[in-house]
Amino acid sequence: MITIGVLALQGGVAEHLSLLQKAATSLSSSPDTTTRADTKAPQFEFIQVRTKDQLAQCDALIIPGGESTTMSIVAQRLGLLDPLREFVKFQNKPVWGTCAGLVMLAEEASAVKKGGQELIGGLDVKVLRNRYGTQIQSFVADLALPFLGEAEGPFRGVFIRAPVVEDIIQPARQIGGGDAETTTGTAPVEVLGVYRKPSGAEQEDDDIVAVRQRNVFGTSFHPELTEDIRIHAWWLKQVVDAARHGDLIVNA
Amino acid sequence: MAANGTNGSNAAASSSSDAFTVKAGLAQMLKGGVIMDVTTAAEARIAEEAGACAVMALERIPSDIRAMGGVARMSNPAMIKEIQAAVTIPVMAKARIGHVVECRILEALGVDYIDESEVLTPADQEFHVAKADFTIPFVCGCRNLGEALRRIKEGAAMIRTKGEAGTGDVVEAVKHIRTVNSEIARAKAALASGGELAVAALAREIGADAALLLKTAELGRLPVVNFAAGGVATPADAALMMHFGCDGVFVGSGIFKDAKDPEHAAQRARAIVKAVANYTDMNALVDASIEHGTAMKGISNAGMKPEERMAGRGW
Repeated sequence: MITIGVLALQGGVAEHLSLLQKAATSLSSSPDTTTRADTKAPQFEFIQVRTKDQLAQCDALIIPGGESTTMSIVAQRLGLLDPLREFVKFQNKPVWGTCAGLVMLAEEASAVKKGGQELIGGLDVKVLRNRYGTQIQSFVADLALPFLGEAEGPFRGVFIRAPVVEDIIQPARQIGGGDAETTTGTAPVEVLGVYRKPSGAEQEDDDIVAVRQRNVFGTSFHPELTEDIRIHAWWLKQVVDAARHGDLIVNA
Repeated sequence: MAANGTNGSNAAASSSSDAFTVKAGLAQMLKGGVIMDVTTAAEARIAEEAGACAVMALERIPSDIRAMGGVARMSNPAMIKEIQAAVTIPVMAKARIGHVVECRILEALGVDYIDESEVLTPADQEFHVAKADFTIPFVCGCRNLGEALRRIKEGAAMIRTKGEAGTGDVVEAVKHIRTVNSEIARAKAALASGGELAVAALAREIGADAALLLKTAELGRLPVVNFAAGGVATPADAALMMHFGCDGVFVGSGIFKDAKDPEHAAQRARAIVKAVANYTDMNALVDASIEHGTAMKGISNAGMKPEERMAGRGW
């Protein structure tokens, strides 16, 4: 049994739980999983996480979309920030953040509220909050996501007041500027998805909208606001593989 | 990995459904949060630091609108701009019911959500704004399921109970969410016993679009996010509304009305955020209630004259 938590301090929690359930059902009926001789189809339990004890039960965690300032303040006041950092950076358990969750998992963020914002960290990237502006500039766009498989069709990316990865923090640049506690330092940040703006747009350079560094995965957009289970299924499979390879010691 | 393409990309979604996904999606990201009425940039900062998931920018909080009388209109854009510049969380603003031009002005200002609100003096006695025509999303008040679905049919991407704004008396908000919940239960029962025809009959009775009522019956909840509003004054009030199944809470006058000083307002704001995030944890609610301190004095609904009520505005 693998226990997957969704951080439930604020935001789109139910949407993730619903897609996780659908993705788990699809995985258990997928030939790729069931034909493997060494194991049965994976069993998952999905829980909401509001306390340290609930977090301790989790083998992997999703940090949903929502308002990252709210999530950060509430986590701080519940004494959850350090346990979350422990979970992500020292226990190195699989974590996925969408939108606000990506902001929380970044080592640095810009365009934050006055006085700054506490982050969990884990991804050696700098995110730019509200990259596209206010809600008027929110949009849906097709994304090519090669990690889902070369033959896969595009993914409808829902971007709502979305952040993007504006910079990958190189280890050399981290000295003095980064979080000294970071243990993910040497693993490279992989860019897993970019948003290619329509030609003729003001700034035509691509925006980084999906990244992974070792156990930490982040997306600018909201797969949980679609009916498309592919990214949830892919991530669940990453979690299962980590458990099989012994990278992840699953709670009994 | 193996393709899950059979369940996967439905890339053919139409652009109008994409537009609604983006509008309703922001409301989904506000769930579990508190949206606070603020009248200045300083108040907006207090709300943001307390953990508000959004602010509602308006010139006067509803209790002061009541006290001043006269015509209540859209706020001065200059004041809304100051608030937009002060915070990074979403900024909402109110337009009068049916006032298409106020809505267009707020859209041009780039606020994140428009509240077509009964707290302001209605501009049209017959029609609400045709909200689907806008790029900006709308939240609207309701007293019952029919009213909620009429607003959604017009394009609202988020609903709130009307309650009775500016009173600090939660009784009307409770009445409205109870009414919505019991009507959703009726719709579910109608679907179970009589199928779509029974749902269509109920739709006629409550003045709702049949397709939206069917969707509501299938989901067992409103098809968009539903917040509580109108009279929520304390952490316990906020937790009560969550207990009734609301997705989050608007607090209008309850933060800043009768607050002793900015620190007291900040304490109240933090306490209500805590109460909503932990609404089932009674120890957290004890702490939140202590932190909150004295609530606004308020006006009891029981003693109000019909013409003093705002909830009756809108149709």
